[in-house]
Amino acid sequence: MITLSTVRGWNDRGRRLGALAGLALLGVVAGCGTSSSTPTAKADASTCSSNTVLSATCDVSTPSAVTLTGAGANSIEPFFETVFYAYSQKNPNTTVNYSPAGSSVGVTDIQQATVNFGDSEIPLTSAQLAAATEGTILQIPVDLGGVAISYNAPGVPTNLKLNGATLAGIFDGSITNWDSPQIATVSGVANLPNLAIKPVHRADASGPGYDLDQYLIDTSPAWVSAIGTSTPSRTWPLATVGIGEQLNTGVATYISQTSGSIGFVEYGYALQNGFVNAALLNAAGSFVAPTETSIAAAGAEATSVSATDFNVVNEVGAGTYPIANFSWTLVYQKQSGTTTGIALGKLLDWVVTSGQQDAAALGYAPLPTNVASLAQTTIRELESSAGTPLFTS
Amino acid sequence: MISDAVLGPPRAGGPGGGVRRALAKRRTRAGERTYAGLRWAGAGLFALVVVALLLSIAGDSGQALLHSGVGFLWSGTWNPAAGQYGAGILVVGTLLTTAVAMVIVVPIGLGTAAFLSELAPRWVAAPLSTLVGLLAAVPSIVVGLWGLIVLTPVFANQVEPFLASMPLLGWLFRGEAYGPSILLASVVLAVMTLPTMVALSRTALAGVPVADREAALALGATRWQAIRRAVIPAARSGIQAAVTLAVGRAMGESIAVAMVIGNRPAIPASLTAPGATLGSAIVNQFAEATPGIGTSSVIALGAVLLLLTVLVNAGGQALLRRGHGLPVSTAGALR
Repeated sequence: MITLSTVRGWNDRGRRLGALAGLALLGVVAGCGTSSSTPTAKADASTCSSNTVLSATCDVSTPSAVTLTGAGANSIEPFFETVFYAYSQKNPNTTVNYSPAGSSVGVTDIQQATVNFGDSEIPLTSAQLAAATEGTILQIPVDLGGVAISYNAPGVPTNLKLNGATLAGIFDGSITNWDSPQIATVSGVANLPNLAIKPVHRADASGPGYDLDQYLIDTSPAWVSAIGTSTPSRTWPLATVGIGEQLNTGVATYISQTSGSIGFVEYGYALQNGFVNAALLNAAGSFVAPTETSIAAAGAEATSVSATDFNVVNEVGAGTYPIANFSWTLVYQKQSGTTTGIALGKLLDWVVTSGQQDAAALGYAPLPTNVASLAQTTIRELESSAGTPLFTS
Repeated sequence: MISDAVLGPPRAGGPGGGVRRALAKRRTRAGERTYAGLRWAGAGLFALVVVALLLSIAGDSGQALLHSGVGFLWSGTWNPAAGQYGAGILVVGTLLTTAVAMVIVVPIGLGTAAFLSELAPRWVAAPLSTLVGLLAAVPSIVVGLWGLIVLTPVFANQVEPFLASMPLLGWLFRGEAYGPSILLASVVLAVMTLPTMVALSRTALAGVPVADREAALALGATRWQAIRRAVIPAARSGIQAAVTLAVGRAMGESIAVAMVIGNRPAIPASLTAPGATLGSAIVNQFAEATPGIGTSSVIALGAVLLLLTVLVNAGGQALLRRGHGLPVSTAGALR
């Protein structure tokens, strides 16, 4: 009403900005056009006579330029970013765009078939699989990560020992100060500072939250009675204690700048941020801090991993870190475009084999042999839209 | 359209009939007809989109209302993890952040507008207006990031402890200084709504006839008295429209608020306690919401937000009509 006449100036400004943005967009599109038509190095055709073979040498050759889009877990982003870049260096024909908007987005996007692949920290439930619009979804384990309990509390030593009960107390609001006697008893540290604890959890649904919830349910009866269930939840179950931030990045930002804070992030993010992490009590009765080795130890205990048996929380073994998890990439078994399907299969096969060597430096453990072979077997189930296998070996 | 408004409905044989006939003849031209058609199509399409939007929101939130009953509107528990859905706490958070943001933005915005339109020399006013315009162009997620990265530590370490230590008013800010809080969210909202407030009130102030000012000055008023007693009252309807728009923007903001409010769906114990709003809950829950009841509940939050915005706007308009005796839409014409 009144606004139409009074805000005309703003509209004009908006239109001018819009025009500028449009020009910028044109520039980008034009740039893409030229780059994709630039001739790229052809892979050696003699070693990979057919595109239907998956192997270390053939994985990095695709016949024509393909852009693959993916969306999903925020926790896997540091790993994906690195391996996808390394892959595009070896195989310039394949460009991968991954949007780390969260596992839940990855699930919805693959269900709606708006991306070539999704990624979720938790495999899909049968109900989620049934909601897929283009048939059977294959779930491929692509990395092994851990959930770090990171804190920023001056005066509290590195790798403070915590068990399920104290951690549950911190996140249910019954332990509110770093000098609490419970923490002192469990950690064996006498002179903890008098500093308020500021717990931070995920405000959005998350894989790390689900895994920590599972650990607390496994180890603390008080936690089970506080949340009133023994089924872990992607949405953090006690949002009325402490504060919630979005994604690993939000939680990490809060921890890094707030004295007294404690929260959970994917170990890769803790490593990137140089966080101090707690050593957690594992099923074998020892306190273990998250490292690539202790996460790998947890993965090694997981002898029968599948999309329906994916839990690697609180595994046995003296050296295992108790909160680990696999990340699952989601693709349709029937690929509507053969070229895209082949490029996707080759990319994923490379990620679960050669790509794993990049994992350790980023805070992820290489996939255990049995899980890597599960991944490779699953990738070979990819089919064309007509139902014929895309790969012969 | 203009001719209709000026001349009123056609009357056979009445005064101005000749002009009307001439206009009617011209109206039959193809261009006119096409334009009229486009006008109707445009208006129709707009109405259609709005109605379709309302219908789908109402339809999709139906399941939530069936599940939680009318109690959804005021039930105090929002815990999707346990399948408990109630909007009450979030309504409180939305109204509280908006109210605090207005307490901050109205005096500052009005003061800036008065300075720009009444006091500032041209060489100050021009760049300052540009700056305010630039602020309007900053996307809300950038303002949110700024709040999260820059303001959060300052609030946690300095602002919130200081406010809590104030005599008399300290209880308003008691509790743990987390940083993210109702107060921080309100400050971010104030920053985001400032450009609206300044630009619209400045236009309203500039529209007050020079004679009003001169009359006040001639009667011996100081410059400040003239602004306060003559200019601001004359521009009141425009200023109230500015506030209404700012309120609407503040209530609906989601992303930036979710980044700085702490996302705690509980009745805040003080202004420095974390909270949650309808918008922030939608941002956090939508992607994951359990298909069916969960998704429906999140859409129902959108419906509640829409309803709340309409109510607040209607309240503002009613207030305005009572205060001025004229509907808001005539304020533009008065200028």
